[in-house]
Amino acid sequence: MSAPVALAKRWAPEIALVVILLILPLVLPYIDGTYDIANRILDWGLFGLGFDLLFGFTGLLSFGQAAFYGAGGFVAAYILVAPFTNNAVVALIGGTVAASIFGVIIGYLSLRRTGIYFAMLTLAFGEMFFFLDISPLARWTGGENGVAGVPEPHLGFGIFSIDINDPGGLYWLLVVVFVLGFWLARRIVASPFGAVLRAIRENGARVAAVGHDVPKYKLTVFVIAAAYAGLAGGLLGLLQGYMPPDAFYLDTSGQLVVQTIIGGAGTLIGPLVGATVWLYLYTLLQNIAGIGAWWKMILGVIFVVLVTVFRRGLCGGTLLLWRRPVARPALEPVAETAVGEQARVAAEPRRSTQRPPPTGPIVLATRNLSKRYGGLTAVDDVSFELREGEIRAVIGPNGAGKSTFFNMLANVIPPSSGTIEFKGRNITGLGATMVCQRGISKSFQINQIFPSLTVRENLRIAVLARAYGKFHPAMLRAVDRDATVNAGIDAAAASVQLAKRLDTPAVELAYGEKRRLEIGLALATRPQILLLDEPTAGMSPVERADTVRLLRSIASGVTIVIVEHDMDVVFGLADRITVLFNGRKIAEDVPDAIQANPDVRAAYLGSQAAHEPA
Amino acid sequence: MISWPLFFSQVFNGLTLGALLVLVAMGLTIIFGTLGVVNFAHGALYAVGAYAGFVTYEYTGSFVAAMAAGAIFLLVVGVVIERGLIRLYYQRPPEDQILVTFGITIVLVEAIRAIFGGLARNIPAPSWAAGIVNLRVTLYPTYRIDVLAIVGASLVLLYFVLYRTRLGLIVRAGIEDQLMVNILGINVTRTFLTVFGLGAMAAGFAGVINAPIVTVTPDMGADILVQSFVVVVIGGVGSFWGAVVGGLIAGEILSLTAMIQPAYSQVMLFAVMALVLILRPQGLFGVEGRQ
Amino acid sequence: MSLLEVDAINTYYGEAHALFDVSMHIEPHEVVALLGRNGAGKTTTLKTMMGVMAPKSGAIRFNGQAIGGLPPYKIARLGLQLVPEERRIIGGLTVEENIVLAGLSEAKPWPPQRVYDMFPRLGERRRNRGRELSGGEQQMLAIARALVREPQLILLDEPFEGLAPLIVQDLLGICRRLADEGRTIIIVEQNVEAALSLARRCYILNNGHMVYEGTPADLRRERDFMHRHLGI
Repeated sequence: MSAPVALAKRWAPEIALVVILLILPLVLPYIDGTYDIANRILDWGLFGLGFDLLFGFTGLLSFGQAAFYGAGGFVAAYILVAPFTNNAVVALIGGTVAASIFGVIIGYLSLRRTGIYFAMLTLAFGEMFFFLDISPLARWTGGENGVAGVPEPHLGFGIFSIDINDPGGLYWLLVVVFVLGFWLARRIVASPFGAVLRAIRENGARVAAVGHDVPKYKLTVFVIAAAYAGLAGGLLGLLQGYMPPDAFYLDTSGQLVVQTIIGGAGTLIGPLVGATVWLYLYTLLQNIAGIGAWWKMILGVIFVVLVTVFRRGLCGGTLLLWRRPVARPALEPVAETAVGEQARVAAEPRRSTQRPPPTGPIVLATRNLSKRYGGLTAVDDVSFELREGEIRAVIGPNGAGKSTFFNMLANVIPPSSGTIEFKGRNITGLGATMVCQRGISKSFQINQIFPSLTVRENLRIAVLARAYGKFHPAMLRAVDRDATVNAGIDAAAASVQLAKRLDTPAVELAYGEKRRLEIGLALATRPQILLLDEPTAGMSPVERADTVRLLRSIASGVTIVIVEHDMDVVFGLADRITVLFNGRKIAEDVPDAIQANPDVRAAYLGSQAAHEPA
Repeated sequence: MISWPLFFSQVFNGLTLGALLVLVAMGLTIIFGTLGVVNFAHGALYAVGAYAGFVTYEYTGSFVAAMAAGAIFLLVVGVVIERGLIRLYYQRPPEDQILVTFGITIVLVEAIRAIFGGLARNIPAPSWAAGIVNLRVTLYPTYRIDVLAIVGASLVLLYFVLYRTRLGLIVRAGIEDQLMVNILGINVTRTFLTVFGLGAMAAGFAGVINAPIVTVTPDMGADILVQSFVVVVIGGVGSFWGAVVGGLIAGEILSLTAMIQPAYSQVMLFAVMALVLILRPQGLFGVEGRQ
Repeated sequence: MSLLEVDAINTYYGEAHALFDVSMHIEPHEVVALLGRNGAGKTTTLKTMMGVMAPKSGAIRFNGQAIGGLPPYKIARLGLQLVPEERRIIGGLTVEENIVLAGLSEAKPWPPQRVYDMFPRLGERRRNRGRELSGGEQQMLAIARALVREPQLILLDEPFEGLAPLIVQDLLGICRRLADEGRTIIIVEQNVEAALSLARRCYILNNGHMVYEGTPADLRRERDFMHRHLGI
């Protein structure tokens, strides 16, 4: 499409918003509206922009946003009433900064937990702020009376200033602030930072595993939400000429949540729409005799229905992902039975890989690595060396300690004793995120992808970590126009044969394609060492053969460690095999030698003295 | 200067408040532990119980009838909510459960407000419990002592149900391993119904017996909700003794801090909860890793 | 009509295809071993039989009645019982409570004393909580729990895993006793020798495909085949 049209498309939401808000004053008298109502709605909308970034996009449900709303509001009001200045701009900035500082503190404490406990922590802190406001700090906050006498806004910008002394003027002030806030939020969403946030909502663990510092991202968006809340709180005081204690109420936090859900979480404009619905439903129902008192209950019912049936509210419109009639993932033709029959035929000798033996430098080594859980030793004194360019398989019967050993290599769990060295440097206990940044990437047995994102967006998350490091709060750039990132995505997609599916939502991929995406995510971080955890899990024989071919094709330039049960896959790929049994390494050699090794044969068939005591 | 009578009075207040929190938290922790559902509607159920008791009292003049009504009405409400709504949420993420139970709160509380208005109501203490009792260390309202006794009796009953009956065995086993209970031939979902009903009943019953001490308003459940969450966090999810100990501790924190510095009593409670969540998330008696 | 008929079932973990057209049958009074490497689908097969997972296609019939897709508690009441891989003793309940729990939905369950007669060690520990038991004791309790329900078919999932050799010998003895009593058992085990010593027939699963059905004697004659599918 032509440049002007493309430009218009990018800016459509902002343009639409500005147009609506420009026209609104003309329409107000016909819809029984007043500037006051409009101002309140805009204030809630602003409050909600930050909350939507936190909840709608990052998935963090906070029930304590009122703490920041109130804090920002009271600090701003106090600045003006004390008075430290009569410049409302300074006061608003002061309030926003104060709210942000509280955001850092409360965010740091609350984000140490997730899910329910995070929600409860934010609720507790929100309530704490409320009680602090009412009583101990009443001298500054006016306690239950709030802070009265907030002057009409005098906006000083250095040389020139604007004085606002009517609701109409306030309306334009709020319009400007809201539109700016909306524009900024949209930029954040479209930025690399925003891409990571959305991925965190889908699968925070995978985001960390591909090398992002997830706690920092979460804290940053928490503070942003607090800042928006603080600014909205300050504006509330200006709106009313008075800062009320109910800014700190649990009800206020709750109202924000309800409005956001009703309007649509994850849409940025949802909270504004939700606030409109809330206020209009109230006004509408008040006028219907007999129902007036029930308006909030009806709102509650609507809310419950929306949460149960929809997830994205009025604006989002799409049903919960799992209810939506998703395009059925393409099914592979079932030609397996023929292959199954083949397997029953007398055993054929296995074809070993034809690759030359690895002679490069040692890139990964473990020394006396052990893991104990109470009295049980899962991994016992395993030393292991991996050469550059090698494909090493780690096998062993059940309970041999393979997964534990593998997870220690990936730095997912810390060893009880022993060390792991990557290119000569000790990486023990660094954690999966750091280790991924250094060059060791893991792909999971059960797909850990981002289902509602497209293949392109999936790969983008991994590429971002590689391109910009573990924390990159770039919030104003558009991520889809980043040439480096796009190149990285294309390369990763090509290497796992998903180049044609870049714009397909991951949830719609066939199972085999999802597995390829899973490997692609690990590859996209351009690792030097790739750890593959049962890459052929759940695959038909046809898919397994395809996967072996794929892995052979990516093996050049990358060192691979693969944990597998399927011996055909192991023999088709591995240069060398390490065998674990009861947590100990009992053999390490080329495949043919391992196959003939009597200890290994005995270990698998259990004919030697059964499992030794822990 | 704090006098001994005041001190002991506050200690007993803490016990009374704590006892009520124990009862409410017990319902919450059983629901949370067995069903895995965070019931943000628990405070609203408490309020509904108080109003059910109020209405019954207005009609019958009998406090005992009010108590019974509060309990039975809530049992029914709990079962209806579970069958109608909660069971749709068992597979959904915890945020969704919080949201829907929060929504149920709005519906219940606003329904109460619409029917009864926002003015405070009252159920007077029953005549058989009026007056003051001399506790040697302090003088104390008889009714509050009776509350301790009533709650104590309820807890004994609950303990009996949990530890000496088939249902209790299933509930305790189900809290730990729902699937295994299923494999052993027991229809666990039918138990969920009962569990939610029992939990709601505990909340509603607490609402009625607390009514003579506090005022009955539509929003009376909000504080209780938050405080009972604190109790569950401190005591540990799914633990009977956790709810008991946690409740008494919470009651004493609130009461004794109020004596020293009233402004900080609630803040203190939340500070303790935050501390527990950050340092020992499974609580005093909870099972490690159960999050 | 066999006691249990599994007819070309396909089970999935989400979208991961775990069992491919798996068929087997169990006759009354026989012990059948289900062998294979880990990841082969043995536990998945038992879970599908017990209703913990539902097959996407194919049928399972128990005493002629279709049970595919039924919830576990219904299947348990029809006469199957699973002794799961992780044992899954209810740690917070005492030994006796675990036994009583197992019998709640059974018309004529074993009284606890009968369990203690067969497993004296459990009798000594009857007041201990489940989590205080050793691995071997927990396995005994898990088996006892299944017996309480007088099942027609017992599914034993890796009963010897992670246990010391002496304990394994004890348990083998118990399993032999059960077999001698004429109980019908499917035993999943990675310890091939132990399993073959108990079984009258055996099946082998490889990557979710059934690749062998025969007797232990026949299997032992094909050593290369054994290594190929059970070893490496």
